Amino acid sequence: MKCRVIALVGLLLPLAAPQLLSAQAPSPSTARLEGDWVRIDPDGAGSFGGLGASIPPAQLLPGVSAAAGRGGGGRGGGRGGRGGPPVLESTGPNPEGVPYIVVAQPCAGGLGGRSNGALLVNPDSGGVHFVEHKDEVIFAGERGGVRHFYLDGRQHPTPWTPTPAGHSIAKYDGNILVVETVGFTAGAVPGGGVRTPETRLVERFEVAPDGKRLTITYTWDDPKVYQKPHVYRYYFDRSPMLDSAGTPVSYALEEWCDAGDPIEKQSIVPPKQIIK
Amino acid sequence: MKRLCAFVVSVAALVAMPLAIVATEPSSPQEGKATPDISGFWELNFDGRKVPRANLLPTVTRAKIDARAKADAYAIRWCNLLGLPFVMDPGRPLDIRQGSTAVLIVGENASAPRYLYTSRAKHISDEIFDPSTNGDSIAHWEGDTLVVDTVGFHGEHGIATIPGGGFRTDKSRLVERYRLLKDGALLSVTFTWTDPTVYRSPHTYEYRYHRLPSTYEPRQWLPCDPWDEERGKFLDPPAVTKPAARAIPKGATP
Repeated sequence: MKCRVIALVGLLLPLAAPQLLSAQAPSPSTARLEGDWVRIDPDGAGSFGGLGASIPPAQLLPGVSAAAGRGGGGRGGGRGGRGGPPVLESTGPNPEGVPYIVVAQPCAGGLGGRSNGALLVNPDSGGVHFVEHKDEVIFAGERGGVRHFYLDGRQHPTPWTPTPAGHSIAKYDGNILVVETVGFTAGAVPGGGVRTPETRLVERFEVAPDGKRLTITYTWDDPKVYQKPHVYRYYFDRSPMLDSAGTPVSYALEEWCDAGDPIEKQSIVPPKQIIK
Repeated sequence: MKRLCAFVVSVAALVAMPLAIVATEPSSPQEGKATPDISGFWELNFDGRKVPRANLLPTVTRAKIDARAKADAYAIRWCNLLGLPFVMDPGRPLDIRQGSTAVLIVGENASAPRYLYTSRAKHISDEIFDPSTNGDSIAHWEGDTLVVDTVGFHGEHGIATIPGGGFRTDKSRLVERYRLLKDGALLSVTFTWTDPTVYRSPHTYEYRYHRLPSTYEPRQWLPCDPWDEERGKFLDPPAVTKPAARAIPKGATP
């Protein structure tokens, strides 16, 4: 009897071992963060303005003004320009030949530019992508920039020169990637919030058990700015699969923006209307 | 009885061992030792390039090379995405991370990151793929070497001049072989470009990158602002703007 038990344990132990070992792993393959995602409008707000309006208003301390943070790349869920200030947004139909949006300085590399990861603090409609490695998760956007989430145990550097995307360290809480970021340049936060170099952002990246939905919960905290932590959520679905010669695929696009091309300064130009 | 018991245990161990091996087989390169992990921060030093002269077709004239150089200058001037081959030698360290579906290569400038897909063996159909400065890269392991095949390049965008001569076109194919050397302290990458419109024979060169300490902090933000006037004055050759595609009507601007 004893012998049979030993044999049975001998058989089962190696099979159980991977499960024991993987208890510390980031997440099961069905719920991995890795891959391609696109932000969605789960409540049917219908517009970027509507999405922005669905964010609970930040409760700022007396004397703190949201205007103080303008220009910091907090995009508020609104439509992202391609750099530079969007300067004209019409509500009604424009006359023939008049573009809806004119951007004075398209593809600008300054705030909201391609290289600094600021676009990924609160992503807009561009596709986003994650690659998970045991020491670092890279969060990359098709509209430019990457964020580095370090899992290797490093601390936030001191001193640190504030940047539009700040400095991020991360850990897994079960299947949830928890990212702590500090050291932002001053700016605005969706929902009328404000950030300063001392503000702390905690993001929780949670993939649904079926692996199809990603929820990012943002918590901005700064005792010099907020009465209580400012919390809201963004939602993403896996990027739609394309049919590549019979095989479903998705891949990261490169969004092209050529600042030297005048066409980049404007959006759709209404053509001549033919009324029958 | 003792013998029987020993026999049963031995059989159990023999049956269990392969099962255990199958069960613990890594689902991604970094999870096991079956393949190396090339993740890390990598820097190309001044002595890291071994680039022979390319064997160009006679149709690649001086005028074509000059035109390409001018287009490269335009890409720099206007902060375009720069793409391959530039992204592998951007003047700053590369952050390479090996995930379960792709290897990501990230520079510290405005270029798009590279995705080397290990999750598929075929290129995206050219019927649906948007040609890009980095193209479509698929990768697989051959022993200790990561072999990356890239097609789908844009023929005009980015810095297209290739080290050693020639330039990338929409007909170009790049095969790279990534291999760790010196116990992982060095990363060797050999690049082989083929293009029936540019090269008489495949053009191969090698870069060797030094591994930086794992505590390295990539510089987050090297700005490239096409609207910086001082920068524009420095870089502007005459007439680097494209002709106006469509005039913006008067009154549309604020």
